[in-house]
Amino acid sequence: MSRGLALGLLLVAPIVPVSQERIDRLAGAFRAQDEVLYLWSGEHVKRLVPGFESLAADIYWLRTVQYYGGQRRFAAGKPFDLLRPLIDITTTLDPGLEIAYRYGAIFLSEPPPTGAGRPDDGVALLEKGVQELPLAWRLRQDLGFFHFLYRKDAASAARVLMDAAEIPGAPFWLRTLAADLLARGGDRAASRRMWTQMFEQGEEGMIRENARAQLRALDSLDLADAVAEAAAEFERRHGRRPRALDELVSAGLWRGPLADMAGIRLRYDLDTGRVSVQEDSPMWRPDPIKEKNDE
Amino acid sequence: MGRGLSRILAVAANTFRETVRERVLYNLVVFAILMTLAGLLLGPLSIRQDEKILKDLGLAAMDLFGTLIAVFIGTGLVSKEIERRSLYPLLAKPLSRGEFFLGKFVGLGFTLLVNLSVMLLGLLLTLAAIGRRADPALLTAAYPIFLGLVLVVAFALLFSTLTSSTLAAVLTMVVVVVGRFADVIRGMREVLPGVPQQLAQALFTVVPNFANFDFKTRAAYGEAVPPAVLGWVTLYAAAWTAVVLGLGLASFRSRDFQ
Amino acid sequence: MPQPEEAHADRHAPDRAVLVTRGLSKSYRTGHVIQGRRPALQDLDLELRRGEILGYVGPNGSGKTTTLKLLVGLLRPDRGDATVFGEPLASRAWRSRAGYLPEHPYLYDYLTAAEYLDYVGRLFGIERKTRRERTRELLALVGLEQSAGVPLRRFSKGMLQRAGLAQALVNDPELLLLDEPMSGLDPIGRRLVRDLILELRRAGKTVLFSTHILSDAEALCDRVAVLRAGRLLKVGPLAELLRVDIAHMEVLASGIAAQGPGLEAAARVVSLGDRLRLEVEERSLGRLIVAIETNGGRVLGVQPVRRSLEDYFFEEMGGPATRMGEWGEG
Repeated sequence: MSRGLALGLLLVAPIVPVSQERIDRLAGAFRAQDEVLYLWSGEHVKRLVPGFESLAADIYWLRTVQYYGGQRRFAAGKPFDLLRPLIDITTTLDPGLEIAYRYGAIFLSEPPPTGAGRPDDGVALLEKGVQELPLAWRLRQDLGFFHFLYRKDAASAARVLMDAAEIPGAPFWLRTLAADLLARGGDRAASRRMWTQMFEQGEEGMIRENARAQLRALDSLDLADAVAEAAAEFERRHGRRPRALDELVSAGLWRGPLADMAGIRLRYDLDTGRVSVQEDSPMWRPDPIKEKNDE
Repeated sequence: MGRGLSRILAVAANTFRETVRERVLYNLVVFAILMTLAGLLLGPLSIRQDEKILKDLGLAAMDLFGTLIAVFIGTGLVSKEIERRSLYPLLAKPLSRGEFFLGKFVGLGFTLLVNLSVMLLGLLLTLAAIGRRADPALLTAAYPIFLGLVLVVAFALLFSTLTSSTLAAVLTMVVVVVGRFADVIRGMREVLPGVPQQLAQALFTVVPNFANFDFKTRAAYGEAVPPAVLGWVTLYAAAWTAVVLGLGLASFRSRDFQ
Repeated sequence: MPQPEEAHADRHAPDRAVLVTRGLSKSYRTGHVIQGRRPALQDLDLELRRGEILGYVGPNGSGKTTTLKLLVGLLRPDRGDATVFGEPLASRAWRSRAGYLPEHPYLYDYLTAAEYLDYVGRLFGIERKTRRERTRELLALVGLEQSAGVPLRRFSKGMLQRAGLAQALVNDPELLLLDEPMSGLDPIGRRLVRDLILELRRAGKTVLFSTHILSDAEALCDRVAVLRAGRLLKVGPLAELLRVDIAHMEVLASGIAAQGPGLEAAARVVSLGDRLRLEVEERSLGRLIVAIETNGGRVLGVQPVRRSLEDYFFEEMGGPATRMGEWGEG
């Protein structure tokens, strides 16, 4: 290759990534997924691709994942409008695609900005999955978990988990967990057990990441509770609430950082004496137990 | 310089003549039939859908037919000349290999421009025939399609300097298909950490992102592509095309014609 | 390497070399898995003088086409170089003064002969009016004026060959490089091409043409370059190459047997049905004729047989066995 040509190519090549980045910024990356969805339901698409349903399901699943990632990355603040239709089409094309139900339910149920914040949709999806794949105990287990973790419905969760425990191949502790839920109406320990299960079961990836994050959120809650205990002790000893959490440290009642698992300082409400995780911390989760008790 | 340019244009003009004589433009007949049928049959459908479907169909046909022409004619342009040895007498003239190569490129590019323009006109006429007004947004979607086709031609020419016309066509199609999924590959990079990063990254770099030329849906809803975006898309296409053409040029120049 | 000022003097000095090669070599890769190299041309040192017709002869595969392709730029030499009109081979400047006819030319079958020539004319930068005239002239010259508007796809092999010749002449070149210009032509066509080449020489052009048809070389060439297996064996005027032989005479006789008395003088006797063809050295001619007549035979005809290029080939290349495999028809 002549030197002039080689030089020319080297000069021109960097224009490619630069302009791509510009296009992404201006037109929105992952815009490709806009196409086709508007008119088609799962049944329509299925009719269009006879013989290729499985492949089409895979493609739609890829698009779903890509859409989900794209929304998180490039479209912060935008709702996950297309998520439900995408997953619906995917699971209609290939009702056996277990992964679509499981991941899809997480995408849908997790509160923004992680997910769409529509746990009812997530549960509905899992219910569809459970119908299509009655022998998939993991799906039923997830359904039970989701009832409890996202909709705070311990009774339904227990019922579903009991059913799940009946499926051949299901682990024995599902029954124990269901019994616990019935007895105590649910507590943080139950949550922790469920998330731990999901963490241990999941392969590296979305499910595992999410479970890990949830567990850390629980740890943060535990930490907040422990600090609240220390604050209560302070009140007992000194007859007044601590003015700030640091007083606990200087009083020798607390050692270590006064921050949650993400390193964000805990929030202390002087009027109520409540210690909690900051709402804008990544560790913040709506705590089903605390909220229940507050009602 | 001027002489070189006029030689390139001579080759380009002859290439255009070749495509016309080889009846490439007959695909327009198929397109016309398609448009007519669609225009007639979609009428009874709901009022808003027929316009959108017609636009979808028209733009998709432009894209599809154009791509097929770019791939199959494009790969033949150089491969067939080599296989049949018709370029032997020509390369002995003051015509340089580079001029020949670029002339072929310009010639087919012009053919595609004509093809696409006629199709666009056909689409607009069909829309008018069913009582819809012409929508400038369609133009803003047709232009990036053209850019994408030009890039495909460049790839077709590159591969045809390296191998037989059949294999070159296959390779070009592979590039086109992978390029249309480039967006998905990019998504994988972000969301599925299981996929080896390097592989996804490598694939994304080596293949053009054809989603950059795809504004069909947007245009079908009447939303024009903003000029700034078109500008950057043009730059993207120009850079990629220049790189691929440059490689093809180098390959063609260094070949021995046994 | 010619000095720069020679390039200018070139045009006017009548016996300057039009084309000079030095050590030109090319080998091809062979085999798909295990790659070897097959030398197609080795160390060609050749000079083409202005105004001459040089015949480039040799069996198929001896490197004739390779040489022409190297000269014209279709191949890149491994070693060596060449100059044309004093300019380096790779420069494009000399190409407007040269014309090339490849072996088995394939021209665009979707064009007519006239359109093709017009296209070529455009590549030379000739203006439209001149192009039109030139096209007409050339088509007439090669006997295709009736078929000017016929698409090349309907041309016979011979017509294509002539069209190929026409395209080589569009720019009125000073130098012509022709690869097997007679191939595919019927006797009339061959006559036409032969006359054309002679006409070109009369007009002061230089012609290098390769052929394996030795009679053509014999009929046309001032000098002949003989190639075998990629090497130049000999270059020289025909007369020189053929001087070594002793002229024989060929006698056609009837009415005597091949083993008849007095026929020992004949160097070679070939039976043709009831006739004999005898070759005899010139000095023994008289004796042979007398012998035939006294033995009751009749002499039907006598003519000189010069040692032909073919004979030269036989001797240099080695016998009839090589001939069959290498040459095809002659």
